[in-house]
Amino acid sequence: MFQAPIQVPIIMPQLGESIAEATLVRLVLNPGDAVEVDADILEVETNKAVMGVTAQANGIVGEIIAEVDKSYPVGAILGYITVTDEEAKRLGISDDPEPKKSAPRKPKVELESATRVEPTIKGLPVPAHAGGASYLTPRMKARMAELGMHAADLSGIAGSGAGGRVTIEDLERFLEDIERNRITPASSMRVAVADAMRRSWTRPLATVGRSVALDKLLAHRKAQTAKPGPALYGLRALAIALGENSAPAGRLIGEKIVHPRSVDIGFAVEAEDGVLVPVIRNADQTSLADLVERYNRLVEQARARRLPAADTGGSIATITNYGTFGLTLATPIPLPEQTVLLGMGAGVVVPSWDAKAEKFIPVTEAMFTLSFDHRVLDGGAAGRLLKRVAELLNAPETL
Amino acid sequence: MSVKVTYLDAIREAQERALADDPRVFLYGQDIGKFGGAFKATKDLASKFPGRVLDSPLSEDAIVGMAIGAAIEGARPIIEMQFADFSTCGLNQIVNQAATLYYRTGVPCPIVVRLPSGGTPGSGPFHSQSMEALYAHYPGLIVLTPATVEDAYSMLLAAVEIDDPVIFCEHKFLYNHLKADSLPAEATPIGKARIARPGRDLTIVTYSAMVHESIAAADEIAADGFEIEVVDLRSVKPLDTDTILASVARTGRLLCVGEAFPWGGVCAEVIARVTAEGFGLLDAAPQRLNAKDTPVPYHPALWGTHRPTASAIVAAARQQLEI
Amino acid sequence: MSEVVKARPSAARDEGREFLKAYRIMLSARVLEEKLAALYRGGKIKGGVFLGRGQEALSVSIGISLRKGDIFAPLIRDQAGRMAFGDTILDTLRTYLGSSLGSMRGRDGNIHRGRPREGYYAMISHLGAMIPLVAGGLLARRLRGESGVVGATSIGDGGTSTGAFHEGLNAAAVEKLPLVVVIANNQYAYSTPNDRQFACADLLDKAIGYGVAGHKVDGTDLAACLDVVGAAVADARAGGGPQMIVADLLRLVGHGEHDDGKYVDSELRKKHVGRDCLAVAGATIISNGWATEEQLSAWRDEVEIEVDDTANRVMREPEPDPNEEDWRAISTPVLEDHCS
Repeated sequence: MFQAPIQVPIIMPQLGESIAEATLVRLVLNPGDAVEVDADILEVETNKAVMGVTAQANGIVGEIIAEVDKSYPVGAILGYITVTDEEAKRLGISDDPEPKKSAPRKPKVELESATRVEPTIKGLPVPAHAGGASYLTPRMKARMAELGMHAADLSGIAGSGAGGRVTIEDLERFLEDIERNRITPASSMRVAVADAMRRSWTRPLATVGRSVALDKLLAHRKAQTAKPGPALYGLRALAIALGENSAPAGRLIGEKIVHPRSVDIGFAVEAEDGVLVPVIRNADQTSLADLVERYNRLVEQARARRLPAADTGGSIATITNYGTFGLTLATPIPLPEQTVLLGMGAGVVVPSWDAKAEKFIPVTEAMFTLSFDHRVLDGGAAGRLLKRVAELLNAPETL
Repeated sequence: MSVKVTYLDAIREAQERALADDPRVFLYGQDIGKFGGAFKATKDLASKFPGRVLDSPLSEDAIVGMAIGAAIEGARPIIEMQFADFSTCGLNQIVNQAATLYYRTGVPCPIVVRLPSGGTPGSGPFHSQSMEALYAHYPGLIVLTPATVEDAYSMLLAAVEIDDPVIFCEHKFLYNHLKADSLPAEATPIGKARIARPGRDLTIVTYSAMVHESIAAADEIAADGFEIEVVDLRSVKPLDTDTILASVARTGRLLCVGEAFPWGGVCAEVIARVTAEGFGLLDAAPQRLNAKDTPVPYHPALWGTHRPTASAIVAAARQQLEI
Repeated sequence: MSEVVKARPSAARDEGREFLKAYRIMLSARVLEEKLAALYRGGKIKGGVFLGRGQEALSVSIGISLRKGDIFAPLIRDQAGRMAFGDTILDTLRTYLGSSLGSMRGRDGNIHRGRPREGYYAMISHLGAMIPLVAGGLLARRLRGESGVVGATSIGDGGTSTGAFHEGLNAAAVEKLPLVVVIANNQYAYSTPNDRQFACADLLDKAIGYGVAGHKVDGTDLAACLDVVGAAVADARAGGGPQMIVADLLRLVGHGEHDDGKYVDSELRKKHVGRDCLAVAGATIISNGWATEEQLSAWRDEVEIEVDDTANRVMREPEPDPNEEDWRAISTPVLEDHCS
């Protein structure tokens, strides 16, 4: 069987530390000449010396591919020596193209596969604990701080970074794009409300509601000279109910329920392009009739943006009458420092089945909603509070 | 009546104890014999241990080289460079001979090189240097920077027992200024940093004399309601990255303070590690405070601002806390 | 006051037994170095090759005069001395060819090898630096109560200009240590001739300056080398303090095998100092009738076969594996610094 003769390459040796190449000066032996180990085959010149290149195999000089007066880098193949099988064996030349190499040791830290995020086409890896799209790098945070932006402002941007991250480029492109829209400044009121709502929304919020019959309340109101606003009825009912059981207005801080100190109830008043919340202090201890004047004055002051500091802040719950906007149902957002928000819808006349008279009679009803921080209250407690409010509203003379 | 122990006393007592406990120990250096050493760190030791506390010629290369040769033959020499600044005359033996001996030959090199380091008023460019970063840079060396009387004692004893070359950076200013009630019976192991002052709002990582300046700075800032945690590295190499990271995890902010020159110093190394391994712990960019990038000036008025002081640390810390 | 001891003329020694032993070691060193040169020019050596051709007589005299328990820090051109002190053809080839089984385990190479625990110190490249080391080793032995130990080291004319040479020899003299420093003045430090290296009339004059015994010897004459080096070692062993030997000879190779030594004055090769000590020793053996030319030739053949076989075997040994290294520079694992 024909077997190709084994060629041992003649390689340009490393002839000094900073030497990268050498020039072939002459052939000491020619192709076809017999050669022994350690005999000079070629002569080369570096910038430091002229020296011989020795054969490292016994055999016949084969093809010399290097040319005289040309330079070749260290490691270049200059020619070949043809050797017998025996000689090849002696030199340890095997058929294996790749000798076995040991593998690098695995790194000590192993990332949990659960937290790994696949890199996008751009190949940016996300840190294992980065949390994907919501991760904001220090650089992003710094840029956003410059612009007065919050994470919520980025909700309109589809991030092109790994895991859906919004990158600096995404942000700058977004800002350029919105420049083409009409832009008006947001009032400081708007910005303040935005901040409050954003902070409130960091909690899990829920809303429950029930219809409350208003006929008794309306009759009671008609009989007053100084007519209390509808919201004031709701405020007093809420105050009495919380005075009986303040737990639903407690706050969850860590693993503690922080109970309210006094039943101070706020009520929402629309002012310019925002909402102000004046507060009635100790609302459980003053009767409805005695609150009318104070309430009306606070409404006026709020509307005029001249609310005294002492009459704002520190309330433990708030009431909002969205019925004045014609809304029959809403799911408003409690203040960020409060757990509950009582909402009142517009009164509607509806047919109600009178079991005694065995016929439908017209009744005025309004939807009352309780929006709450679901970490503190569940549906049951919310329902019970609403039921108590409804009871009190049906006995307006007790308010 | 309790007589206080100074940082210098601690170093002398440690050497005395090493000589007494281990017959392989001997001391070699300039003026350390009858004279007791330029700083009296070896006072009376020559008479207590005749033939084992030897005066050398003024030859740092030979002093270090001979210590290495002696160590190969089983001795445990403690050599004194008269000032850390002069160790560069023996740099070759330290970094190319001592530091490479184990790696190249498998034979450990148990020498201790004592370097009186750091500045004192008027000491000037060649009697003030802090060389720890230079030596820590070379693989094969242990670099220690004791900040307290207790550590000066126990870490020098530990250094003698370590089989590898130890560069022992003792601070000259602390020699007679720092006092303790007694010497410790136990010691924290080499390689562990110490929380010199627990805190909450900012971590200062530092070592040697700067530990005391940092604590003074922290006490001043406490009046503003901020509590600074001061970490005393104790050893620059090995560096206790775990303790540093745990502290930064608690505070979220890092200021690294060192008396040495800024470029490539210990602080640069600490910050590189915290940034690489604790990026997510940081609320603010880590900062460092070092000497100015000039030789150490001679005049006390210049020297006073050349290296960090308690008030400079206060200013830098305040900046870190305001971010 | 130091005495300048002149070399004694070549004399018949004890039927030439020591002379023959020395010659055979020189021959092994010569043949081995020829092989190293060929391997280098065949691209098989990792790193540089530095040979001691022309210096074998001086070098072997050091190794032969030392005893087990002594300390020897050989330098670049001491293949013969190393082998006389116990180094082997096998470990030499292993270190040059980069076998993981060599004494330096791939962490250092060529002439930087040694086994310090056996008193065979491993040089670093900074010339002169080994002198304080040997002095320190001798100091430690003395402190342990040992006597009769000698430490020897070689250095070239160039190395005598270093600060480390000065500091080490001075400190050893102050301590009166049994240190033997053998200066091989081979006329060139790389390409630098003596007149650009030192201004004193004779390197031997430095002995007076250091307050140590000084000896001059013809480095090309094996008999003289054995005499003078032997006497100096004996003097040191007997408490005569440091000994400085200055030998005149010629480097018969380039500074390294990457250098062709074109700058060496070709006239020197023709002078006494340019004689090949191996050829001179061979002639001495034949003229004294201690062996025949055929025997010398046979010895050369034997050594060539041993060297070739050992080289072939070593070339099949494994290289150091970076994945098996612990990559730790200190001996105490618990103090390892994790910086990367």
